[in-house]
Amino acid sequence: MANTPIIEVQHITKRFKGLTAVKDVSFSIREGGITGMIGPNGAGKSTTFNMICGYYPPTEGRIFFRGQDITSKKAYDYTNMKIARTFQIMKPLKNLSVLENVVASCYFGHAAAKNEHEARERAIDILQFTGLYEKRHILSKDMGTPDQKRLEMARALATKPELLFLDENMAGLNPAETEAAIELIRQINQSGVTIFLIEHIMQAVVSLCESVIVLHHGEKIAEGTPGQVMNDPYVMEVYLGTKGGAAYA
Amino acid sequence: MNNNVKAVRAYRRNLSIALGLILLVFVLIPVFVKSPYVLNVFVLIFYMSTLSMAWNLLGGMTGQNSLGHAAYMGLGAYASCLLITKAGANPWLSALFAMVAVGLVAGVIFYPCFILRGPYFTLVSIAFGEAMRQFIINSSFFGRASGVGLPFGKDSLLDFRFMSKVPYYYVGLVMLLGIYLLMKKIERSRMGYALRTIREDEDAAAAIGINPTKYKVMAVVVSAMVAALVGFFYASYIRYIDPELMVQAKSTESVLPAVVGGAAYVEGPLVGGLIMIPLSEFLRAHFSAMLPGINMLMYAVVLITVIRFRPTGILGWYMHSKAKDFIDVKVLKKPPIEVLEAVELEKNRGKEA
Amino acid sequence: MSIFLQACVNGLLIGGFYSLMGMGQNVIFGVMKIVNFCHGEMLMVGMYLTLLLSTHLGLDPYACVPLVAILMFLLGALIQHTLITPSLRTNSFTNLLFLTVGMGMLLSNLALVLFGSEYRTIPTSYSQTYITLGPVNLSLPRLISFGVLIVISIALFAFLKYTTTGKQIRAVSQNPVGAEVVGINAKRIYILTYGLGTALAGVAGALLTGFYTIFPTAGSAFGFRALIVVVVGGLGSIPGAFFAGIFLGILETMVALFISPSYSDLIVFVTFIVILVVRQLIIIRRK
Repeated sequence: MANTPIIEVQHITKRFKGLTAVKDVSFSIREGGITGMIGPNGAGKSTTFNMICGYYPPTEGRIFFRGQDITSKKAYDYTNMKIARTFQIMKPLKNLSVLENVVASCYFGHAAAKNEHEARERAIDILQFTGLYEKRHILSKDMGTPDQKRLEMARALATKPELLFLDENMAGLNPAETEAAIELIRQINQSGVTIFLIEHIMQAVVSLCESVIVLHHGEKIAEGTPGQVMNDPYVMEVYLGTKGGAAYA
Repeated sequence: MNNNVKAVRAYRRNLSIALGLILLVFVLIPVFVKSPYVLNVFVLIFYMSTLSMAWNLLGGMTGQNSLGHAAYMGLGAYASCLLITKAGANPWLSALFAMVAVGLVAGVIFYPCFILRGPYFTLVSIAFGEAMRQFIINSSFFGRASGVGLPFGKDSLLDFRFMSKVPYYYVGLVMLLGIYLLMKKIERSRMGYALRTIREDEDAAAAIGINPTKYKVMAVVVSAMVAALVGFFYASYIRYIDPELMVQAKSTESVLPAVVGGAAYVEGPLVGGLIMIPLSEFLRAHFSAMLPGINMLMYAVVLITVIRFRPTGILGWYMHSKAKDFIDVKVLKKPPIEVLEAVELEKNRGKEA
Repeated sequence: MSIFLQACVNGLLIGGFYSLMGMGQNVIFGVMKIVNFCHGEMLMVGMYLTLLLSTHLGLDPYACVPLVAILMFLLGALIQHTLITPSLRTNSFTNLLFLTVGMGMLLSNLALVLFGSEYRTIPTSYSQTYITLGPVNLSLPRLISFGVLIVISIALFAFLKYTTTGKQIRAVSQNPVGAEVVGINAKRIYILTYGLGTALAGVAGALLTGFYTIFPTAGSAFGFRALIVVVVGGLGSIPGAFFAGIFLGILETMVALFISPSYSDLIVFVTFIVILVVRQLIIIRRK
């Protein structure tokens, strides 16, 4: 089982009208673990992410989920395959309450709730798990960044994923909030969800990820454990600079 | 806990009494009001608010702004009228047919418009309405510009034909209530959550497994079907239809109750209709002979004022007002929301066990 | 053949108006991403302004054009500043849409209240003058109007391309946040843009008065066609709107000539729907 990666990306390339955003990137994600992707701004992380999540197809290359080719799947097919994602720029359903935000998610995906009772009950469980329960009646547009980031995760979790993609879920959080978010991600992982995340905050990557992929100018330049990657001379040169690696927040 | 259950039951009872009283007033109006003019205003409120609810499913709930609802209504009216006059069909059956036909046409025409984002849907809805109107004006089968009349005759429920306005009042009220309950049901269902998620953000919708195109097509089909039903009601009530029914201005009129009342709420079109239609009729009756256009001018002023100063409509303003707090707490004795939630949860658990 | 040529020329002459309307609509859409549903009514206001100026000041309709442009610019700027800019903040497209729809209702009914529903014209000494060019007869007022609006179109194009303000307008259309970051005052650009769009519609109205009747709903046909023009020519594209307008004018006169004048509206709207739907389907295929 553990030998088939949950996601396998083979030689994907994305060109936008002559601009190559991602070039021949391959990697795989181990089931049950936490894999991270780092790289400077404009390295092609979000593009890669959006291709894996079906928001646009790669120009070349293939993507496999548990051995099945999902390259041409549409974004809305993903929750049925037990995959969920969050967005770097949060997309809360602004004019709906926090509870309704999560109820909406409970209605869809592979384990969609059959009626409103079930959806509400599941939503309440998820809100308790993510620490948003007390704020369930607030409109989501009235919450601050840390809570909106949490809501992004809650909405994704409500579709009962086995694989969760987190797109810069800690950007803009202060150290204490980051610590709390790391703890939440760890708990989600321990409940059996494989996690793939993009992050700028090194502290989070180092403490969470068992494996890290580094992108630069759309190409993969390194892969390995956080320790290996951080000591890779090329990575240190192009991404981390000469010193003070954690400064890229 | 026991006290909580009692409090919730008392609140539910108060709410039912309040709603029952409102409904009773509407049921009793024809008993006390004999003026055909006043009854006509009520019938107008009923069908225009229903049309506005149909619009609101697309506009308010899904964020797809149609400016072609007069056309769906007109097509529904024409389809049912022609079936009655040319094929001798029973009116009620013809209504059913008209709804299905208009729903299908709307679904097929608008499917491609929903795939791209942007204002395309609005623009096509205008062009669709205008194209249909021009088609009817040029088609002798549809009676050209002179329209189609329905036969007069003895009162009959089977033929949906009455001399008095009272039966239309009650049928209109039933139609309004039926469509209201349908919209309420949709709002709380999977479809309602899908539509509202799409309204807020289509990417976010796709991320949780909603196919935006599919749900938008569903919304336009249901909305057009309800508009067609209103068209049937209108044709049976006025007993004469012509292409003027489908002009652009009528589509705009069908939107106003929803926007003024509060497009984010299923009740918005009802509140807006109850205020705007009597106002418009009053202005028309008292001023339009002296100054043609003054009623629509006032209408436009109200619309612009509401959008500018109360962008969430009258209901949106009420929902955050002291008046609501007062009515909820003092009149209806509404318990805190936590109590309501706890009792509901308990009840559901009891059901499942 | 001469009938065909005559129809072509007539189509061209009326198509120029659709172009001008479409370009105004597109400037507004480009910057604020809202469709201006009272664009046709602005044309109608331009017509009545011309009527007032020519009857009370005794001006020739064409001499009114610069005055109408200035007055309409001020009207547009006022509407933008007091109504649209504050509503942009609510971020509700429904509200913005019905704000402009409401403005349209307000203006056309205001005209009805003030001027009644009579059809009016501005008689001039040259209104019945024709110029014969080979097989084609050209009405002098139509020809002058077309000439003026071609000049205006070129001026608009040059304005957007070469002046600082024009560049700022284009910057805001392409990236409002980026434009704000480099110090462009978005509110000022909004006012300028809506004023400009309104002035273009008003000028179109003024130019029409030479050969067209004036009545409270005179603008709606042009408003509709401006919408068609922007969609067919590409939302936000100024040259696209120009050519789509000319195409629409010629299409209309051709339908009137070869089928029947009463079908020209129907064919125009159906063509619009077909073009739009087919284009969407092609885009889906490519995806």
